[in-house]
Amino acid sequence: MTRKLKKTGLIISLSFLILFLLSATWLLAGGDLLIKNATILTVTGGVITNGDVLVVNGLIKQIGQNLAAPAGVRIIEANGRYLMPGIIDTHTHIALSGTNEGTDAVTPEVTMAEVVNADDTSIFTALSGGVTMVHTMHGSANVIGGTNVVLKLKWGKPSEQLIVKEAYPTLKFALGENVKQSSGTLLPGRPQRYPATRMGANALIRSELLQARDYMAAWDRYEELKKSKNPPANLLPPRKDLRLETLADLLRGKLVARCHGYVATEMLEFLNLSKEFGFKIGAFEHAWEAYKITNELKAAGVGISVFIDSWAYKMEAAEGIAYNAAYCTKKGLLVSINSDSGERIRRLFNEAGKAVKYGLTRDEALKLITINAAKQLGVDRLVGSIEVGKQADLALFSQHPMSAYTRCEMTIIEGEVYFDREALIKERAAASTKKGDLS
Amino acid sequence: MNKSLKKRQPVFIRALAPTLLGLVLIASLFFPLSARAGSPEVKPAYALVNCRIFPVAQPVIEKGTIVVRDGLIEAVGPAAKVKIPEDAEIIEASGLTAYPGLISAHTNLFLETKEQAQPPSTPEDYLAAYTQPAEPKELPWLKIIEKLKPKKETVEAYHKTGITTVVVAPSEGIFEGQSVILNLNGDEINGMVLTQPWALHLNFTTERRVYPSSPMGTLAFIRQKFYDTQHYSQHLQKYRQSPQLLRRPEYDPFLEALLPYVVDKKTIVFQCNNLEEIKRALKIIKEFQLKAVLTGCNEAWRVSQDLKSANIPFLVTLDFRPPNSSVYAQEGQAAREKAEKEIYPANASNLAKEKINFSLTSFGLSESNFIKNLRLAIQAGLPTDQALRSLTIEPARTLGLEKQLGSLEPGKIANLILTKGELFDEKTKIVKVMVDGTLFSYEEKGQ
Amino acid sequence: MKLTITTAQALLKNKNQLFLAAILLSLTLLTPCFSLAQQPAAQAQKDSEIIAIVGAKIVPVTGPVIESGSILIKNGRIADLGPNISIPAGAKVIEAKGLTAYPGMIDSYSWLGLEEISGVRATVDNRETGRINPQVKAIEALRYDSMHIPIARANGIVAAVVAPSGGLISGQSTLVKLDGWTNREMVIKESLAMIIELPAIRRSRGGFSGFRGQQPQVTTEKTLDELRQVFKKARMYEKRREAARKNILLPLPEFDEASHFLLPVVKGELPVIFSVHADKDILQTIKFVQEEKIKAIFYGVEQGFKVAKEIKEAGIPCLMGSLYSLPPVWEDGYDALFLNPVILNQAGVKIAFSSSSASAAKDLPYQAAKAAAFGLKPEEALKAVTIYPAEIFGVDKLLGSLEPGKTANIVLADGDLLELGTKIQKVFIDGKEVSLENRYTELLKKFEQREANK
Repeated sequence: MTRKLKKTGLIISLSFLILFLLSATWLLAGGDLLIKNATILTVTGGVITNGDVLVVNGLIKQIGQNLAAPAGVRIIEANGRYLMPGIIDTHTHIALSGTNEGTDAVTPEVTMAEVVNADDTSIFTALSGGVTMVHTMHGSANVIGGTNVVLKLKWGKPSEQLIVKEAYPTLKFALGENVKQSSGTLLPGRPQRYPATRMGANALIRSELLQARDYMAAWDRYEELKKSKNPPANLLPPRKDLRLETLADLLRGKLVARCHGYVATEMLEFLNLSKEFGFKIGAFEHAWEAYKITNELKAAGVGISVFIDSWAYKMEAAEGIAYNAAYCTKKGLLVSINSDSGERIRRLFNEAGKAVKYGLTRDEALKLITINAAKQLGVDRLVGSIEVGKQADLALFSQHPMSAYTRCEMTIIEGEVYFDREALIKERAAASTKKGDLS
Repeated sequence: MNKSLKKRQPVFIRALAPTLLGLVLIASLFFPLSARAGSPEVKPAYALVNCRIFPVAQPVIEKGTIVVRDGLIEAVGPAAKVKIPEDAEIIEASGLTAYPGLISAHTNLFLETKEQAQPPSTPEDYLAAYTQPAEPKELPWLKIIEKLKPKKETVEAYHKTGITTVVVAPSEGIFEGQSVILNLNGDEINGMVLTQPWALHLNFTTERRVYPSSPMGTLAFIRQKFYDTQHYSQHLQKYRQSPQLLRRPEYDPFLEALLPYVVDKKTIVFQCNNLEEIKRALKIIKEFQLKAVLTGCNEAWRVSQDLKSANIPFLVTLDFRPPNSSVYAQEGQAAREKAEKEIYPANASNLAKEKINFSLTSFGLSESNFIKNLRLAIQAGLPTDQALRSLTIEPARTLGLEKQLGSLEPGKIANLILTKGELFDEKTKIVKVMVDGTLFSYEEKGQ
Repeated sequence: MKLTITTAQALLKNKNQLFLAAILLSLTLLTPCFSLAQQPAAQAQKDSEIIAIVGAKIVPVTGPVIESGSILIKNGRIADLGPNISIPAGAKVIEAKGLTAYPGMIDSYSWLGLEEISGVRATVDNRETGRINPQVKAIEALRYDSMHIPIARANGIVAAVVAPSGGLISGQSTLVKLDGWTNREMVIKESLAMIIELPAIRRSRGGFSGFRGQQPQVTTEKTLDELRQVFKKARMYEKRREAARKNILLPLPEFDEASHFLLPVVKGELPVIFSVHADKDILQTIKFVQEEKIKAIFYGVEQGFKVAKEIKEAGIPCLMGSLYSLPPVWEDGYDALFLNPVILNQAGVKIAFSSSSASAAKDLPYQAAKAAAFGLKPEEALKAVTIYPAEIFGVDKLLGSLEPGKTANIVLADGDLLELGTKIQKVFIDGKEVSLENRYTELLKKFEQREANK
């Protein structure tokens, strides 16, 4: 009798174990979801009304109408609300323990990927505005900052699972007022940091890159001598210099420059530097005067990552016009709208929506924070639009996301729900009843 | 190690005998407990009888005897099996329980704590603070032993928590300097030393106004120094082999200090104040193939799998305050307090559940908070035998002293504590402490 | 520049020449910095001219929407409006089919004209040094040709409160229309309200702890105690001055600046805009206002939703701070600032939105829409940028809605006034059509020429 009971107990616990293991693997593989009856803003393939999106293992498996959910798959009823690709912010500093290594004007040796802080509540804040991916960067205190990192905002997951390895590796450059430290107060007894002018900033970049060239040559010579038949007895490898290693990677084309620049002149001169040294520019950041040099930018194939209309906060932003993003888009530049802020990030869709006032259609405006951003980060084959085969990074909005009256309802990354306003409100209500709180 | 110490002693005494004698006389007047420097002290042989014994390495002995002679354990066992030597001073310990002395593998004991620099409060102070030339605190050559001023009161306060062995680590800068392992047998530093230096200590902190001033800068700085040490060593080696036609390497005290740790793989201790720092340390350890120990680690449970697969020994502080970077510290005062009360105390028990070995330390805590928090960790689910191991045999292993410390076994150093009640119980009092065979009594009046 | 000179020449005929010379001179002086931030002049119009906006959808705000109707403007006022208005002969007809007419918006708290480029101190005039500055007046520093004003106007904003800030008593705010050749020409209410700033909520989150962060936190309780003393002194001062005026034998007390300029406040003549934030601080301030018997308006009010009932009972209107910020307390929820106006409005508190900015003054409509996205009825959102602020500032007889007799501040938009993509087609201030040219359009035009010349 007792033995039999034990046996059944064993079977039950074993089946529980199997179930648990099964559910665990299901979790690991990314989410499965069926979103029904949505107004789907695919971005690359028009608008589908009353559409369904089936997500399997974190990927978009099917887009259509009246799709059936496989057994056990969670169904999200959109009721005609707007489903768009997860928003991508091409310039932020969130989810990091540190922004600037500001003690030196040149610090390419620092790596933002190593100081990701997955506990930063800014991640949640960003999710609440439909943002699923960020390019989180070194600050602009230095002429050459550090290498940046692209993250998916998987709130609650360990930092290494946030990093998007497929994205372009990028190196931060900065020009203008920030690196000149023109708004800082000069303290008695402390010399002003070099460079204090735009001339100096450019000269510094040139000298650093010349040094990096020498560094590469030194290593090449060493390798050659080492391989030779009779290597000299005193042959010593060059000192490994992390700063120059990174710059060498830029010259080797393994890194893409992302350059913070405001005024036309400094951007043109950075274009010239890239020609002089043959490195790639991913985009200009802020680029307030891009509208003045669209021809040059177009010819160089360099896009911009800008604010829509946050301007006049310093002298170099005083000619930043709200038409910049729309105008440059029309001139054929690849434009994205960024937040550069742990607060603005949650209303990036509002910022993109303003571009409609300045000349874009809603569809064009939507691209500024989705597919264009994905292209700038080198991840457009994975995200940035709602297409079969792409990762299911999605955001559900109460109204058209380019409307001022809209609100983010749900944010999904790879088929897993990371922000759900409805659930949150239920939780709040439950918590306040528990507390006996009548307000 | 012990041999060389013994060899050195006579020379030392001959040279300094007259002064020392005077010092010893004066010292003995004021500090009757102190082990006397230089002169080999004759201590009684002790026999602790009729006590309950937690030998740690063996099962509990309900009624046993421990024989101690010349600072070492001579015998441990059930009363029936251990013969009490004729010359032993018998200590009746019925009703008491004997444990190995506890080891806190990370403390800042005896360090002159500098007044924490107050943040400037007036514009004038602010200006002054920012116009003074900034200087980095990097002193990898610092041997903390040279800064220590042992105090009897501190020793006694530690004894009352059951701790008889400590690592004293430096506490400033990124490359903080080199630690020492001490037995708390008195207040004469040289007699206390177990291992000197033990390890180089590294903290992922930042400098103010000089490089590196950011976490990512600190990582780059550490790596660059490690690469530079490797290069320096290569250069030195090459120079030794063929000094002709090679520019001699310029003497670099910083890199010299790192050579034993980076090249010869002596222990480096990484201070990890949050889960990300644990991951960063593990990465660097792997990159440079270092022999390392982690300390701090009050978020270790959050990276238990990383720790398990890396198999690097680590020390866990019983400081339950959530680090500033953690989500618990960002979601408001209530969330922070809740985490401190409910989440962080379960760190050790979570690790124990995953069968991960670790040591507990008193790092960052006062003596009373150490005891209080140890009990909270046990309340949060840490089994008491695991708690005991993590303060005895585990740290002994991590410190490379498992042959001398960490359990009550014949041949080991006589570090033990006698308690009234079970060690981790609320009302338990430590009544006797023995360190290196020296007996300290803490019975309160009326007991 | 060209435009300005032509307009100036047109005006030269009937205006004082010296005055114009002064304007031209100041324009020339400002040219290097702000050559493009010129003041788009009101088009010369004869006062007696009648303008008829016809065929527009009319949203009067205080009355039902008229799907298609006309508005007659005469002598700067709305003469009539409705679906079937007969257009007088000789009226200048503005065809507005497909457009919607709204009353122009009022920004309830801004730094328009006091701050050009926030990072360049030379262009910032909104924060006086010191703590007690009731004597300073925003109107006296207001830059009539601020580059931000035409941009705000091009978004449908026709009037704004311009407020000094900083310290405890920051100074006197002003209410201006966004049109005029001088600061004085812009005045609607020269001295609108005294600005008093109570301590902010200490953020539970870290962040940059610079010098400012290390200042000891002053509580609202202590600050209100300080204010009590200041007010008491002002009353005492007035009492002695009054007595001395009546009795020549009594000595006249020495001039006390703070007391002198606080008189209208303690007498209950000049309202105070209290910048107040935490729920407990709001309650204390209500008590203070009632005890001191002063007219009060609250500004900021981030935790107002927790004490909405008490605010309603006290009858104190609330100006929302910028919704473009994070909730000061994490526990309030990510959407606390968006829900705050919704809850206050539901509780019956009179609310108005503000840009709390100069360079982002143009975002006023979007501030209102943000609250609408979180549950504020769109009609209420619209009222909170039109009629509600007019009522709060006591100018609802003239501003805030489209009604006969009111000032003709009218905006013609190609869509919903608060919507992001909406383009404002025409703006009338005091019945005159104002230019919608601004720094954005001018720079765009300039560089479009570069493209055209290629």
